[in-house]
Amino acid sequence: CGRPGHALLSLSPHPTADIISTVEFNHTGELLATGDKGGRVVIFQREPESKTAPHSQGEYDVYSTFQSHEPEFDYLKSLEIEEKINKIKWLPQQNAAHSLLSTNDKTIKLWKITERDKRPEGYNLKDEEGKLKDLSTVTSLQVPVLKPMDLMVEVSPRRVFANGHTYHINSISVNSDCETYMSADDLRINLWHLAITDRSFNIVDIKPANMEDLTEVITASEFHPHHCNLFVYSSSKGSLRLCDMRAAALCDKHSKLFEEPEDPSNRSFFSEIISSVSDVKFSHSGRYMLTRDYLTVKVWDLNMEARPIETYQVHDYLRSKLCSLYENDCIFDKFECAWNGSDSVIMTGAYNNFFRMFDRNTKRDVTLEASRESSKPRAVLKPRRVCVGGKRRRDDISVDSLDFTKKILHTAWHPAENIIAIAATNNLYIFQDKVNSDMH
Amino acid sequence: MEFKLEAHRIVSISLGKIYNSRVQRGGIKLHKNLLVSLVLRSARQVYLSDPCPGLYLAGHPGAPAPPQQPEESAAGPPAGWGEPPPPAGRAAWPEPEPQPERPAVPEVLRAGDSEPAATVTAAGDTLQGGEAEAPEAAWRRVEGPRETAVGGAGGPAEVSGVFPEGPEAARGPCGCPPGDEDKLSAAPRVDGCRASRPAAAEPPASPPVCARKRGAGWVGGGPADCPAPGSTPLKKPRRNSEEQPGGAAAAAEEEEEEEEMETGNVANLISIFGSSFSGLLRKSPGGGREEAEGEESGPEAAEPGQICCDKPVLRDINPWSTAIVAF
Repeated sequence: CGRPGHALLSLSPHPTADIISTVEFNHTGELLATGDKGGRVVIFQREPESKTAPHSQGEYDVYSTFQSHEPEFDYLKSLEIEEKINKIKWLPQQNAAHSLLSTNDKTIKLWKITERDKRPEGYNLKDEEGKLKDLSTVTSLQVPVLKPMDLMVEVSPRRVFANGHTYHINSISVNSDCETYMSADDLRINLWHLAITDRSFNIVDIKPANMEDLTEVITASEFHPHHCNLFVYSSSKGSLRLCDMRAAALCDKHSKLFEEPEDPSNRSFFSEIISSVSDVKFSHSGRYMLTRDYLTVKVWDLNMEARPIETYQVHDYLRSKLCSLYENDCIFDKFECAWNGSDSVIMTGAYNNFFRMFDRNTKRDVTLEASRESSKPRAVLKPRRVCVGGKRRRDDISVDSLDFTKKILHTAWHPAENIIAIAATNNLYIFQDKVNSDMH
Repeated sequence: MEFKLEAHRIVSISLGKIYNSRVQRGGIKLHKNLLVSLVLRSARQVYLSDPCPGLYLAGHPGAPAPPQQPEESAAGPPAGWGEPPPPAGRAAWPEPEPQPERPAVPEVLRAGDSEPAATVTAAGDTLQGGEAEAPEAAWRRVEGPRETAVGGAGGPAEVSGVFPEGPEAARGPCGCPPGDEDKLSAAPRVDGCRASRPAAAEPPASPPVCARKRGAGWVGGGPADCPAPGSTPLKKPRRNSEEQPGGAAAAAEEEEEEEEMETGNVANLISIFGSSFSGLLRKSPGGGREEAEGEESGPEAAEPGQICCDKPVLRDINPWSTAIVAF
């Protein structure tokens, strides 16, 4: 790719609540939604490119902010339910309004986002403030007219899908039929109809009869982009299961199982943890799947179950540090992964506010940093390098000086253009490739 | 040797994580705890398979040192904690021990230390694969009741294998076969045990109270002194862990002293925790609840947010045992 353009930052006074927990472009890329730990959703909208202000071509500005989820307390189980937004998924747009699903650990909500830019004026019976007029002052009748007003974005919760999950929801995915969606927790996946909130179908249940026999949990799931009957779910053991809803009502039996045999030379105490899949994404074409585990991203061909067709090392230099990463809990970080619009480049986050891109065709990869210093408007992102001993170049960072508190877990790629959104703790960076703005 | 030390370190780190997960906001994260338990199991296997038997003998003379007092004090808190593991859990383990891992703790105490010790040795060998007998047995003798209790709460048949005769020995005093305590049908016997337990327990009133509550739970719903989740929702601010008693909070303070323990004790500790932390797994949000409804509803029902042990009691306990109590 070429050179990314500028960045947009959002700061806030409350450090923990504003940690971004999910980022998602809508289907056109015009809107970008972020969810945070405080249960808020912020939607950015891309400004149309205008000749009068060429510098703000296609910048993203805040469009709407609303509180999606609040902390709750489950009295029955004496459990606090976090308001953190785990995932946001946009519904395909079917009319003037936009809709999205947002979920915390237990409850999914459907939000409708509408614009109001006109208001009626000239009522006969009410005055400008809405107070009833004294009828004696009404001497003629007029037809109220719509007059333009400042754009107002209104968000309203249209559906609340509650009580469907015993365990923590980790993913939601809208079906290509635009009528149903699924939600997955650690042990179960439910299928919902967007219009029906009081019931859902359980389509996967891997809870063992005896919880002591529990060996794996569901970590992520997604519907196939084109085949409304197919979906995939990943497990903590590193396997992927492709399921066909036409085969049975309960899809416990997979149609395909994608699993790579473990490399015995890499065995350690932490082998199981690092093989746990933290994210799975279908390619736009529907032909491939992308998975992220702790140290690698892998591309799988739906037609080959035995092993991935491509494996990319994200930060293999951490392999010798797994014990420390276990101690400080970093080994449990769940990184996401993303395809670009043409499925030729994949992207994922790492530590020290680094993120990585891998070009599948040229096999070249690059490490970039999302930081204020390197992200002034018009700045060109400089490739970074982590040195692991051996020759050290001037701007290299050594493994030991990586900041593990600065992790990029959530990234998103515009569906059509070379625009990426990077969530670095409580800051959102949006990089645009102005030179090569079209996908190649 | 280095592997052993590293394994030991990983075990203590893992235990710390499991403990901390219970006070985390949002409830126990099943995925993370599962991964931690897998690491715990791996570390334990390495620890146990590392051929350094001399380490136990060398480090051991001091192990039985913990006095009787803390041992019996520990009997109280464990008695009030945890639910008996389901029979199926035991079946998963190679030990053919049919007895449940959940003997009446005070009965084990009263039965005397010598009795379990002899049988423990044999079991210990089977489990530990030939490690030094005497130190193992001695350690187990001292730590017995606590182990058993923990086993009852979270470790399946491995612990029962450790005390194959323990429960039976304990049977004498109150005449109730511990095995039946698991089953809801054993109401009269459970009552019998319940009655005897307070007499046996030396520590302050709270542990016997706990025992009563648990017993009540076992008969499925129990008397009113044991609030079941369905009946009296208790609002416990920030009490995300529905299963572990609040006494574990005090245990956390002691847990930091784990590092100072002689490694001789680690083998047994690992065998208890490493086998599975099924207790925690079963008690994952809602999961524990569902199973409780299906199986023994009582003990888990009695759990949420209740402080079964007074902090002062736990503070007197040997740190290792405190950690065991916590889990």
